[in-house]
Amino acid sequence: MSASWMQLFFQIFLLLVSCRHINTKTPGPTPTPLAPVSPLTTEVRSAVFKGESQTEKIELTNPVSLTLECTWAGNLNKPPNITGYWNKDGDEIENSHVTVQVENGQYNLKREFRIVNKENLGNYSCMFGNEAQIDFILTAPQIGEVRDKPVVSYTGDFTVILCKMEETKPKPLNWNWYRGNNTEKISINAQPERYEIKNEGWTTKLKIYNLSDADSGLYYCEAAYAISTTMSPVKLKVITFWEPLKPFIAILIEVIVLVAAILLYERSQSKKNSVAETGTNADHTNTLTQGENSGSEGSSSMRQRKV
Amino acid sequence: MKLYLCTVLQTLSLDMSNHKPKAESRSDEAEAPDGGWGWVLVAALFVSTSLVFGLMRSLGIFFVEFVQYFEESAQAISWISSTGLAAQQFFSPLGAALCNAYDARVVVMAGGLLAGLGLILASQATCLVHLYLTMGVISGLGWGLVFTPMVATVMANFTRRRTLALGLAFSSVGLSSFAFNPLFQFLVEMYAWRGALLILGGLSLNIVPCGALIRPQRCSKAPEKVDSEGGSSCAVMLRRVSSYLELPLLFERPYLTYASAITLLNVGYFVPYFHLVAHSRQVGFSEYQAAFVMSAAGATDILGRVVSGWFSDLGHFRLIHLLSLWTTLAGVFIMLLPVSSLSASYTALMVISLLYGFCSGALTSLAFAVVPLIVGVERMMGALGLLQLIESIGGLLGTPLSGLLKDVTGNYISSFVIAGSFLILSTLTMATLPHYFSCTDPPPPQRHSPNDKDKSLHSELEQINSLSNDMSDGGAQ
Repeated sequence: MSASWMQLFFQIFLLLVSCRHINTKTPGPTPTPLAPVSPLTTEVRSAVFKGESQTEKIELTNPVSLTLECTWAGNLNKPPNITGYWNKDGDEIENSHVTVQVENGQYNLKREFRIVNKENLGNYSCMFGNEAQIDFILTAPQIGEVRDKPVVSYTGDFTVILCKMEETKPKPLNWNWYRGNNTEKISINAQPERYEIKNEGWTTKLKIYNLSDADSGLYYCEAAYAISTTMSPVKLKVITFWEPLKPFIAILIEVIVLVAAILLYERSQSKKNSVAETGTNADHTNTLTQGENSGSEGSSSMRQRKV
Repeated sequence: MKLYLCTVLQTLSLDMSNHKPKAESRSDEAEAPDGGWGWVLVAALFVSTSLVFGLMRSLGIFFVEFVQYFEESAQAISWISSTGLAAQQFFSPLGAALCNAYDARVVVMAGGLLAGLGLILASQATCLVHLYLTMGVISGLGWGLVFTPMVATVMANFTRRRTLALGLAFSSVGLSSFAFNPLFQFLVEMYAWRGALLILGGLSLNIVPCGALIRPQRCSKAPEKVDSEGGSSCAVMLRRVSSYLELPLLFERPYLTYASAITLLNVGYFVPYFHLVAHSRQVGFSEYQAAFVMSAAGATDILGRVVSGWFSDLGHFRLIHLLSLWTTLAGVFIMLLPVSSLSASYTALMVISLLYGFCSGALTSLAFAVVPLIVGVERMMGALGLLQLIESIGGLLGTPLSGLLKDVTGNYISSFVIAGSFLILSTLTMATLPHYFSCTDPPPPQRHSPNDKDKSLHSELEQINSLSNDMSDGGAQ
């Protein structure tokens, strides 16, 4: 007798433990009724088909119970019944075929979806037979301003990479940083004198100290919301100081050449004038050529003396 | 006085074949400074003004980078360009005094080196204070040593086409800010702000060849304290310094009147530049529309400078009357700006802004050209330096005042109206200048000197000036 009571007790205990276990894991399908669930907010989004394929973007931050509604005015010949169904990411959702009847000259297709995690987001399409389709793209809030030019910085210096979510969109719960490429992303944690992360609501700053060439590459900032995360890439380019030094030296040489040319021209002019004043007309050209030669020699020796 | 004669001597001996270094052929002398090497100097002034003011106007591109790198507020960063502008205006009398004491060419070349050095050092800055000191003080000092001497040199080389030369040279400010904005953006994207500042420093060094184009002065301005040998060396030194700085000008009523008129003008002049875009956005126009209005006003500004320069030199009207006309018109259009945008008509706003741009450019060319008519050509260098310093007070007061008015009233209408009224006030101040209501220019005052030799040269100069005025009047008829 006590053994069966013990067994029942043990089974109930196991049931409770497994239910709690299911609760703490990120749920795949809808959670079991035993686990306490905060009531989901409900939202309704509707769209009217206008003749061409159209897309509605919906940004969600928290788990919702979302009702999507499609309306279609129909073709020239309006059959009284039409089959409507739903797709998710191109694949048909099971058991979503519904026969839609004409109401006030329109077809209405409505379905409720529970959007609670990343897997629930995606591209939902309502289809009226094969003739009308409206896409609803469900995502977490996207970072709008993406910097397409790389952030440039110098070796040995530090740099600040900024990521900003528009303040009209909801504030992210948290920010994360990664570096890598499309396939592999390595998380960046704050290390003293190397990485510093400052999160301030809608903006996040990654400060990298003591840059070197190896730090060049793609960095990703990730805004985390209750429902999902969004990533935005930023490219960092580390250059040495020699890069801008090249055009600078070119300009410096140009300035020196100009100044030397102006001074030389002026010296030759003054030599020419003084020679022309003193010399006669006959040997005007002779003295001029001699004057120019001596002038240039004189000016070069003058330059050396000055230097 | 001797500066003018020396410049005339050089231009004659170096450019013209007629070797007449004496002041005998006065008719030639009054005409000779116009043209020839003077146009080369106009080109040099064009380049150096664009590298000073055009560069200052386009520094806004760096501010976003500075805010992100140094993590300071936008106001702290904006102090950098304020320091630069203030330093340029503060050191203008110093530049003028050094030119009076030594050679204008050396001063301008040194100024160009300093301006470039300031920016090159700024590229190595590790904190905001470094930027204040390098981009603000050192570059500002360089700019101050460049601008006034170059303007004075160009004005000394022209008599009849002075305003046109100035108008052509000052048009560089608007043109270069069109060119520098995309260029600076490109440099910052390629090399980050450090590399961009380094390259800008190199570009600023181009002022040095511009300065090299100034003919070397064979004689510098002799200080006039021949009779005060009895005093101590300190007093003698002070008197020399004050004569180089042209400090006695501050006690002359015409100059003081003109300086206060220009200061009042500066209070209202810059307000539209700072607030027009914000006001247009507040009324409801889009960002693109508001920015386009500013660009259009900038384009007519360039046009106004050149056209007013050409028109003033035709000689139909006195320069001071034309300056009063443009200032009054600019004041009226500034006051009309909020009215036109309140009626929510984009065309009206555009038209008024174009007219305002034209008038504000027109008065810029004239504001400098009037100075030698008031103080005489020989004191022009020091007068310009002091004028820059005094008018900076107007600029410092104007923008915070209009900002304060906007904060108090909530919109920009009152700040525009007050700015326009300051310009009207400036015209009224100009009307109190002596001989304002006569139809011809009075002879400019001569410096009083007990030396008889100086007196005779003075009287010769008076005759030259009156001759040039006669010729300009004669040319008009």
